[in-house]
Order: sequence, then C-alpha cells, then structure tokens
Amino acid sequence: MTSQHTRLTSADEARIRAEFDDAYDFDPKDPLFGLGRAAMCGPRLERRTVLRLLAAAGLLTSGHLMGAVRPARAEGKAGGTLTCGWAGVGEIVTLDPAQINQVLQFQISSNVLSGLTHINAELIAQGDLAESWTVSDDGTEYTFKLRQGVRFHNGDPFTADDVLFTYKRSSDPQKSIHSAVVANIAGLDKVDDHTVHFKLKAPQASFLPKVLERASGRAMTIVCKGALEKMGESAYGLAPVGTGPFKVTQHQLGQAVVLERNTEYYDKDRPKLDKVVIQPIIDAEPLAAAIEAGDIKLIGGNPIAPELIDRFAANGDLVVDETPGPTFQALWVNPWHENMKVTDFNKPLEELMKEKGFMARLAIAKAIDRHAYLKQAQFGRGTPAFGTVNPAMGHYFDPSLADSSNQKFDLAKAKQLFADAGYPDGKGFPKLRLLTTPSNKRETEVVANQLKQNLNIDVAIETKDFPVLIEDFDGMNWDLVRLGSGGDYDPDDALVDWMQTTSKFNGRLRDKSKYPFGFFSDKDVDALISKQSATADVDKRREMVVKANKTTSDKVASAFLFHQPDILVHHKSVNFPKESRIPGLVDLDRVTLA
Amino acid sequence: MSRFLIRRVIGSVIVMWAVATLVFFMLRIVPGDPIAAMLFDAGDAAAVEALRHKLGLDAPIYVQYFKWFWLMFHGDLGNSIYGSHVPVSQAIAEALPRTLSLASLGFIIALAIAVPAGLIAATRRNSMLDNVVSFGAFLGLSMPEFWLGILLIIVFAAGLKWLPAIGYAPLSEGFWPWLSHLILPAIAVGTTFSAIIARNIRSGMLEVLKTDYIRVARAKGLTGTAIILRHAFPNALIPVITVVGIAFALLMAGAVVVENVFAIKGLGRLLIQSILNRDYPTVQGAVLVVSTIFILCNLVVDVLYTMIDPRIRYDT
Amino acid sequence: MTDQALIDTLEPLPQRQSTWRRLRGVFLRDRKALFGVIVLSLFLIAAVFGPWIAPYDPNAMAFDMMLPSSWAHPLGTDDLGRDLLSRIIVGTQVSLFIGIVTVAIALVAGVTLGVLAGYFGGWLDHIIMRYIDLQWAFPNFIIAVYLVAVFGTGLSNLIVAISLAFLDDFARIARGMVLSIKEEQYVAAARTVGVSHFRIMWRHILPNAVAPIIVQATVSVSYAILAEAGLSFLGLGVEPTTPTWGLILSDARSFISRDWGLGIYPGLAIMLTVLSINFIGDALRDFLDVREVKDAA
Repeated sequence: MTSQHTRLTSADEARIRAEFDDAYDFDPKDPLFGLGRAAMCGPRLERRTVLRLLAAAGLLTSGHLMGAVRPARAEGKAGGTLTCGWAGVGEIVTLDPAQINQVLQFQISSNVLSGLTHINAELIAQGDLAESWTVSDDGTEYTFKLRQGVRFHNGDPFTADDVLFTYKRSSDPQKSIHSAVVANIAGLDKVDDHTVHFKLKAPQASFLPKVLERASGRAMTIVCKGALEKMGESAYGLAPVGTGPFKVTQHQLGQAVVLERNTEYYDKDRPKLDKVVIQPIIDAEPLAAAIEAGDIKLIGGNPIAPELIDRFAANGDLVVDETPGPTFQALWVNPWHENMKVTDFNKPLEELMKEKGFMARLAIAKAIDRHAYLKQAQFGRGTPAFGTVNPAMGHYFDPSLADSSNQKFDLAKAKQLFADAGYPDGKGFPKLRLLTTPSNKRETEVVANQLKQNLNIDVAIETKDFPVLIEDFDGMNWDLVRLGSGGDYDPDDALVDWMQTTSKFNGRLRDKSKYPFGFFSDKDVDALISKQSATADVDKRREMVVKANKTTSDKVASAFLFHQPDILVHHKSVNFPKESRIPGLVDLDRVTLA
Repeated sequence: MSRFLIRRVIGSVIVMWAVATLVFFMLRIVPGDPIAAMLFDAGDAAAVEALRHKLGLDAPIYVQYFKWFWLMFHGDLGNSIYGSHVPVSQAIAEALPRTLSLASLGFIIALAIAVPAGLIAATRRNSMLDNVVSFGAFLGLSMPEFWLGILLIIVFAAGLKWLPAIGYAPLSEGFWPWLSHLILPAIAVGTTFSAIIARNIRSGMLEVLKTDYIRVARAKGLTGTAIILRHAFPNALIPVITVVGIAFALLMAGAVVVENVFAIKGLGRLLIQSILNRDYPTVQGAVLVVSTIFILCNLVVDVLYTMIDPRIRYDT
Repeated sequence: MTDQALIDTLEPLPQRQSTWRRLRGVFLRDRKALFGVIVLSLFLIAAVFGPWIAPYDPNAMAFDMMLPSSWAHPLGTDDLGRDLLSRIIVGTQVSLFIGIVTVAIALVAGVTLGVLAGYFGGWLDHIIMRYIDLQWAFPNFIIAVYLVAVFGTGLSNLIVAISLAFLDDFARIARGMVLSIKEEQYVAAARTVGVSHFRIMWRHILPNAVAPIIVQATVSVSYAILAEAGLSFLGLGVEPTTPTWGLILSDARSFISRDWGLGIYPGLAIMLTVLSINFIGDALRDFLDVREVKDAA
C-alpha cells in the first residue's frame, strides 16, 4: 500500500514495521491486550498503547502509522472565517448523533460535540471530556474522571449526569439508531458529579477508540439534556448544543451551517478560526466553480467526483491530499437469475467451475478490466478490488489477491467460460438489468460497456434513487447492481456486514420461501468470519480474514470493482495541520488561515 | 364582481383540496421505502419498524390521510421523515423567500428586457431592430434554462470571478450579498420569460396599432410617441397580464432546474429533493404551497382583467 | 340529393390548391420560416438516417477522452471517449421522437377531452374541466417531474409523463373552439337532420378547430424537447445509455469547463431545433391567422 503524497524513508518503514509488530504482540486471551493496567489508564494513552488497542479492535490502518511520518506544520495566525463546501449532498439533514447515518454528518458534529475520547491523526488517543481513566484488571470496568468547569454552548455545566443521559438516550432504539454500539455496556453509574463508572459485559478492544469516540462512535457523543428538552429533537438536530470547539449559530437546511468559535472551549488554544460556514453543494460543476473562484476554501462531505481531482491538482492554488479510503465498490450478480444461477455456493470451487450458471457469473467477473475501468471511469484514481477488505485496513488487506483471485481480468478465459456456459460470443444470453444510483450512472456505463464489448452482453442500465435501489437490492429484485460500501475501518465492516449468510445486506427483504439466501452463502466463509471476529491475535485473524476474503472472491460473491481513495481538497491559504488529518474526518479546531 | 370572486375562491379551494388529496395518494404508490433507506447502515429490521411506528407510517393509509388533513386544518403540515424531522412548515418558510426572491428578480430582469424590446419591435415592424429583437426572443425561448445557468457560472463565476457561483444569502446579510447571489440564477430564469413577454407585447401592440381609435388618434395629429405610450401601450398590456398570470408557473418550472444548478434551496429544489427522497410530508406541504400560489396568481389575473378591461364581465 | 350530401356541401370549402400555394408563398417570403424548414429538415434527415450517417457507434467508448475537434472527430469526443458528433446525430432521433410523439399523444387525448366537454356540456363538461383545472393548478414541468418520479425513468414513462403534462393545453383550446363553432348555423342544421354526434364532431367541428391546434402543437413540440432536456438534467430522463440531447448535455455538465464543446454542441442542437420549430410555428400562426396562443410552461 502506498501513499501518493508521502515518500517514506527506509528508517520510517522500519519504524512502521516495528510499531506494527509490537501493536499486535499480545496474548489474545489477555483482557488488557498485554498492556497492563497502567498503560490503559490515563489522560492520554501512549502511542504504543493506542496502536495496540486499535490493532486488537481491528481498527489499525497503515494510514495511522504514516501519520507520524509527517511533522506538524507551523501554525498560521488565529481568527478569520473559513468557508467550506460539502460535496455531493443537498442538505445536512441532521447533526444529532443519535440520527447521524452519514460520514459527512459526523464530519461536522465532530467540530461541535465532544465525546469522552477522541483520536487524533497521530493516533494519540486523548481524553476529550474524560480527563483521565482507570481500568480494572479483567478489562470490564472503566472509571472516568471528567473534566471540570466545562460548559455547554448554552451555558449549562457538563457533569456526569450528561454522560448518563447520553447513554440512556443512545441505548433506546426509539431515540437512537446506534443502540447496538452500546450493547456491550452492562451498566453505567455516576460516582460523583465528575466521575463515571462503566461496567462491560465482556472486554472490548474497541471500547476506548470506537464506542466512546466522539465522531465515528456516535452513541456516546455527549448531548446536552437541557438544550434537547428546551429545543426539541428536530431543532436540536439542526443546531446541536455541545461542548465542542465550535458552536452552531445558524443552520438553514440545504443552505448553510454556520459554526462560530466556542470561546469557552476547555482548551484555551483552540479553536483558531472565528467562524466556519459549511455549504452543501450537490453538483460537481458548481462545487468546482466555487472552490476555483475562492467562494469556498475547503471541500468536505462525500467523495469528490473523480473528474475534478486532476483539475484541482493542476490548480496551483489548491492542495489535494490523498490517502487510501476505507471502501469497496462492486458489481453484484444475482445468483437466482436463470442464466447465472448458483443455488449452492458450499460446493468446492472445482465443482462450481463445472456449473453453467457459475461459469457465466465468473465470466462476467473475469471480463471486467479493472485498470481500464479505473482509467476511464475514475480518471485513474483508486485501487482495483477483488474483495470487500480494503487497503485502508492495512494489515488485513492482502495485495496478492489481485494476482491470485479467480476474478482476475483475463479476456480470453472469460470468453471461453462464457462459450462453455452455452453463450459463444454472447449468443443466447438475455439482456440484463443493471441498477445503479443517478450519481454512479457515468461509471456504471463504463462497466456496461465492458460487458458489451468483452462478452457481447446487452445491459440496460436503470438509475434509481437510493431509497428505491435499496428496496430492490434488499428484495433481490435485480440482475446486476452497482453498489458498494464506505466507512469500513475494520474487517468486520467488510465481512460481517456483507459476506455472511446472515449479513444485514444479504437479501434482507427477499422472499425467503423462494430464496434460501440473498446474493451469497457459504458455510466455510460464515464460520471463518465469525471466528475472525472473535480472534484478537492479529496474525491469526489476518489469516482468516485473508482466507474468507479470497473465497468470496474466487466464488464470485460479487464482481468486485475498486476501492476509492480518501481525498481532502483545500485552498493553500488554509493551513490544515497533519495532526488533524484523520481519515474520513474534517476536524477544524487546529485549522488556521494564512 | 364579488359573486364572481366568491365563486372563484370556492372553486380554487376545491381544486387545492383535490390536488392535495391526489398528491397524498399518488405518493403512497411511489416505489421506494424511505425508512429502510435511512437505516440502510443500521440494518436492523426492529429499528426500521420502530422508526416507522414513531413516524406513524405503519397506520392504514386512510388513517394517515385523515390525520394529515386534520393537522393541516390546525396549521400543522407535519414533520419531515428525514434526519432531525424538521417541521415541513419551517422548511417551506425557509425555502419560500428564496424562490420568491429568485422569481421576483427574474421577473424584473425579464420585464426590463422585454418591455423596451417589445415596444421597439412593434413600432418599427420589420426593421432591422425588430428582426434582432424577435430573433433574440426566439433564442431566449430555445435555450434550456439549466444550460444557460451553467454557461453563466462558467463565464461570470469561474472565469471572470465577478459573482458567486452558487448559494444564497438572505437579505438580512445585506443587499449586495443577497443580490450578487441571485443575479446569475435570475438571468437564467428570466431569459425565457423575457422572450415570452417581449413577443406578447409586440403582437399585442401590433394588434392595437391596427385598431380604429389609434387611427383616429393619428388623424387627430398626435405624434407617434404619444400614441404609443398614452394609447397603444396600456391596451397592449392586456395580453401581457395573461402571461404574467402564468409567470409563476414558468418561473417555478425554471426555478426547479435553476435552483438545482445554483444550489439554492428554494421551493423547487425542496420539491424535487423531497420527491426523490420519498419524504412524504414535505412533498405534500410543498405541493400545497406551490399550487396555492399558482391558483392565487390566476385569481389575481382574473381580477386584474376585469379592472383593466371593462369589456370583460364575469357575472354570467 | 340525400340529406347527408346536402349537409356536406354546407361545410366551409377547403381550398386545397390555393392553400398550398399560399403556404409555400409564406415560407418563401419569411426568411426565418425558410431557415426553420431547412434546419428542421436536416435534423429530420439525421433522425431518420442517423445510424447510417453517424461516423461511429455512439456508445463505443475509447481512452481518447475529451479530444478536441479533429478530422477524425469533428466535434471531439466526450468524457468517456465516445464520438460526440455520432452521439448528437443519433440523439436527434430520440429527442425528436419524444418531442413529436408526446405532442401527438397530448393532442389526441387533449382534443378528444376538449371536444367531448365542449360539445356535450353538462356534467361531462364539468368533470373534464375540473380535471383540467386540477392540472392547470400545477406547472407542467413539475407534473412531468412528479410522474417520472412515480412511474420511474425510461422512454415510455417519460413520454407518458410529458404528454400528460401538455394535455390540458389542447383540451382548453379544443373546448373553446367547439363552444364557439357549436352555435354556427351549419352545425345546427346538421343536428336537425339527425347526423350523428360523432360525425358532426369529426366532419364539421374539428376541421375548424384545426388551425389553433396546429399552432399549439408546434409550440408544444419545442417545449417537449426542452422538457426532455430538463428532466434528463434532473436525472429523470430516458435510459442512461440512450443518447438524447438532454442526456448528452446533462452528462457533460461536470466537464464543460474542461471541454466547452461538450456543453456547447448538444445545447446548440437543442437550440437550433427549438428555434426552427418556433420559426415555423410563427409562420403558421400568421398564415392560419390564429391569435397568439398561450405560451405554456
């Protein structure tokens, strides 16, 4: 895995390797991951501790390690207004952590609301509202000392009651969509006004870096009880009151979110900016025009349309910062379609290879020239994909799969397979319906074109708005679907969510009497995935992840396409310190204007 | 007159009710499940049901319909089913000034171009100027508004950097920020419209100039300018008012696409977005408001007619 | 002579020969109309023979993306390396087809409703007109957006949506014309001698309502072409692989500033066609002596 913008010295590489090895060097049965109590307690965790916790939680990425390579830049002066555009979105429908279901939303809420912990780009997990904490020997009890004298934006003091209130709200599925995140918490007690005590059902590696994390965790992002009661849920959702570096002073749906400096922030040195204006901009051209004209100085939100990146990179006024992204994108092939039918993926691969339905599936996957696709559809940006596990997962990503996968592009073999399946030069193969969202239309045309050119398959693209597409996808009402996933930081996100028979996306609304499974089901894969989930030994876990990922690739659970990169674009007058460059987030508390 | 007005108002209310009802039921047959899509990542069937119940979407449709109607009579248009469930009335209250700003500025621009152009074209019929004006009008009619919008952005925002490319600033932030954000979209919306008005003024004028009383005025020795401004123009305005009546329809239709180009969250964009998101309550509310304004415009035009042209009576 | 034959002689005599000559005269004198006829004919030829004229397969992609104009690609290539000229030529077919078919459907359905309402009056008129009022209460374009959202994208749904949206204009005109002609003497005469309603409407009333309907139809074709472009822009157009002008233009929008030709040429095709149709419509209006027809949204 490489980063296009950072040259590593051999010393850096050695350090990264050493840190990696050390991070994973612990006994899986040890509830404290070989760290000992002292290391786990604190106001700050040591870098080594954090790396190890992340490793155990399956969250460690090479991007994290790379962070330390870059020295933090000199800071610009404080003050000023930063105008930002949030790409590919028409309105920021909510900033209430209990309702947030998109990365582009918690990118903003992370600047407004605090959690007990927050991790920075250098991977030093810091207490956010927690000043320090201690952990019991069995790793199931955490006691947090809370910061004193912190006030919410509305003046209410922050106390242990707010932690309890947040927990109570988040664990109620009627009020929060993230109740599953806090399911491992057995109990939460208030010791005194500034001390809380968590009891877990079982030791959990991801407790500090994920469950209590202020941005991506969302379940324990501290909300203000008084403000919620006074404003009501919907007003609070637009302009949440928190203890973060910025406060929302104005939010006109679909127009702009205005953040202003929280002068009472607990860290007197932050934030630097006086004001931040965030405009949602759905279309590519206006977005480009806005940043080129200087109307906006930074782009956050959804991934930027690939055709714009080169244009931005060529613009001397703009900085384009690219790292591997935690995503996969795929072309799903319905195994219940008459001409691509596979009713039992449990058979050994050799047997499957003799079935006509499987041959047609495999031919489709093999006929996709991923490099050509990337060049044409993504303007050369991204990594070819052969499974759901993505390069941002660092250790767990297996680059050799690109060579060993059954799906590897091979036109001659694809044509042969298709002919053997009974469709020489596509003769006799029906026209396929390919569903996609309007925003993916252009690149889906490239896929359809390849299938036409390479296998002579006629493909009718149907664009459907996301709500409709999802209904069809869940109901297995499709031939082909262009759909993928983002925000996958852990192998569980890629495997548990997608590749098990019981996965939440695996034909959720299908007619179960007709279809015993959705798009894929393999007993060995199911077992492997469950096992890797519960394995803390990373090398062993990696082995299982790699194996499961390869099986899904070889058996064509889906025709995998590519992994998108994570790209941050800003004006060069914006000083975005590397220590704030957390993948997927746009933390603005250290950002200054030149 | 007043009897006519009362009848028109009652008729309008009935039409509005029918529109609202039609929209309500047609929305329910739209494929797509907003709740499942919203909780795509959460992925829990129980969570989907819980939210559906909380939003009242699990009740029979007729129950939902009567509930919605009942609340509407109490001035409550319901809440968006998305995100933080913002009240629909609030979303509309935020969107309406933007669309009205855009529409009125577009209207002013249209009139500013169309009135002189139409007058000149009519008084110098078949001259070079007339040809230029009518060609320009045709050109304006023939351009897709979104295309014009994109071209304007490329030239004046990205290229010359004279005006902001996108967005909207409320009047409370000052006159210039408000105006500068609206100029380009207003031109995009107003161009088609100005073409239509110019053509109407021209043909209206030509017709009036042919009539007897203008000939009489000429015979009395009045000068051309006086005839045109004092006598012909007011009469030529009558067909123009008809067009103004459908101005809202035109500007709204234009606004739908132009607001999308310029990222202005006005009524048109609100409507399109909520249709695409299957945000039932918001679509219902927005449709109601759009049709109300449209019907009101037509009503006003009818009344204006009777005031301007005494020949028109409605008391049959 | 039978009664029927007698009635037939009562209808106004169409003067075929001289009508043609007059029409030709109008178009030869009016340079704009002549321009319109020539340009539209060219586009019609492109529409009919498109697949044979187009130098390349309009959907064949290549890595030569966004090439400038050259002998090989007179208008350059688009963002996926497809020949732009070929796409515009082939797109003509679908765009004109949509324009003409939607208006034909709207015309037939709208005129039928309008004539029925106007001729029979009473409760039928009431029901039809309330429906027309309902539709009138909504901008046409938004109706089309809504219908496409309801029924999904695709060529047939798009055609249904646009024709439904334009239906009310024809219904209003037809009804108005019928109301004014119904009282004419020759119609009354026909009824007293027991000619069937259908025959009266078909033979006596419709021919007189033809002029304003033709003018409205030409205007509507241009609006339908623009409506298609607008719907495609909003992502509510035909199948994404079918090149139509609106779709080509909408696809180009992220690339216009990199390759202005991508945005200019399909826009010009739309503009020229709509312009030609409007010129022709205008000449027809003069020729048929129809008062300004409402310019609908």
